[in-house]
Amino acid sequence: MRLLTHNMLSSNIKGVTNGFPLRIEAEKVVEKTVDFNADFLKNMFAKVEWNALVEASKTMGYFELPDNVESSMLESDEFLQKFHHALLELHLEEGALICPETGRKFPVSKGIPNMLLHEDEV
Amino acid sequence: MGSCAECSTWVYGGQLTNGCPPVYTSSSHIVVLKFAGLVGHNRKISSLKIGGRRRRRMIVNAAAATEKLQNGIAELYDESSGIWEDIWGDHMHHGFYDPGSDVSESDHRLAQIRMIEESLRFASVSDDSADNSLQKPRKIVDVGCGIGGSSRYLARKYEAECLGITLSPVQAQRAQALAAAQGLVGKVSFQVADALNQPFPDGKFDLVWSMESGEHMPDKAKFVNELARVAAPGGTIIIITWCHRDLSPSEESLTPQETALLNKICDAYYLPAWFSIADYIKLLQSLSLEDIKAADWSEFVAPFWPAVIRSALTWRGITSLLRSGWKTMKGALAMPLMVEGYKKGLIKFAIITCRKPAS
Repeated sequence: MRLLTHNMLSSNIKGVTNGFPLRIEAEKVVEKTVDFNADFLKNMFAKVEWNALVEASKTMGYFELPDNVESSMLESDEFLQKFHHALLELHLEEGALICPETGRKFPVSKGIPNMLLHEDEV
Repeated sequence: MGSCAECSTWVYGGQLTNGCPPVYTSSSHIVVLKFAGLVGHNRKISSLKIGGRRRRRMIVNAAAATEKLQNGIAELYDESSGIWEDIWGDHMHHGFYDPGSDVSESDHRLAQIRMIEESLRFASVSDDSADNSLQKPRKIVDVGCGIGGSSRYLARKYEAECLGITLSPVQAQRAQALAAAQGLVGKVSFQVADALNQPFPDGKFDLVWSMESGEHMPDKAKFVNELARVAAPGGTIIIITWCHRDLSPSEESLTPQETALLNKICDAYYLPAWFSIADYIKLLQSLSLEDIKAADWSEFVAPFWPAVIRSALTWRGITSLLRSGWKTMKGALAMPLMVEGYKKGLIKFAIITCRKPAS
């Protein structure tokens, strides 16, 4: 699971008011090279929840992303490379995503999150 | 017509009655009652009272039956995806053909791609990258993604991010492996998740895509609600699904023969109760979705099931089926029923699209 995906996932357990972002429990993180595409990154930038991305990348062991951003930073190749790396190249292979309100763990196995809810969570 | 005694869904058909004023039960609750072994397979059932302890038992059984259906679906696809992919490739949907045309075996893959393109065109999803680049979808969800054929195709076509969800862990793994092999790891991702409880915040997807997965959904109202919830304001929803024919104004349900045929198909493919195109339109209207369009594309898919049957009867097909599990074989044996259903005008291949209001 890349952090681009994590940025889109939330816990919709019954009764939870804000299930985003999910906390990450990282057991196995793998770095995978992904082709750099500046246009794709610029398109994604507007839609990314930045704070969630920064916090998630730190959990995955990457501390290079700035806490605060503005769109002018997209002109900087150095920034784009860091953004690219955090968003697309850090993979959670094994671990869990944790509902911020209930603490319920959604397992991540071989890079695939299992977000199925139990009967009593619906 | 009325609202379901169990879940308050507005009901367009399917009622339980004990001869006194009818108690309405949504098709999803009739389905789960079916899977729980509590009622027969007809949409209209007589002599069944619901009340008190029995109602509570039914609610518990209903949840168990839904889980049983979900497990059945996951197991069917865990078992059969490999053999399908081996013979047909990574698109697990009907092809789109010109009526009356001669179709050779090599045309089916192109027809499956044409199905995606025709669906996008029908829904007026922007294709022109030079003009209207703002309107190209940026974030796409593939609901019931199979091994990710549509996800990868759409992500490549629109240079967009696409997330796919499926109940089958085997499919999700395979989808991911194919994405990696095709250099799409940066663009597509796959999750095991429930289409009736999608793990996304509201309003995130410019394009909500459901290609031949709606027929698996036990609660169509919840299914459509979730599609609408995750669609972004101004976003497009495209549903391509198997429906039964619309009922005429004087009809309350399909004929017993039609119901019997559909039930056999449902058993083989882990399908809960079917909707008609009119049922879907009413649901979309009730959610105030805009630009609702629907069409019966049955004439454009006619060569598909006969072709699948022929592929199953090849040496490769038969040996693969014999090596696969019972669920897959049962599904294969049910294929002529699909042909029969289409020929009788009972089964319709439907496309239904709409847009979420911009504000």
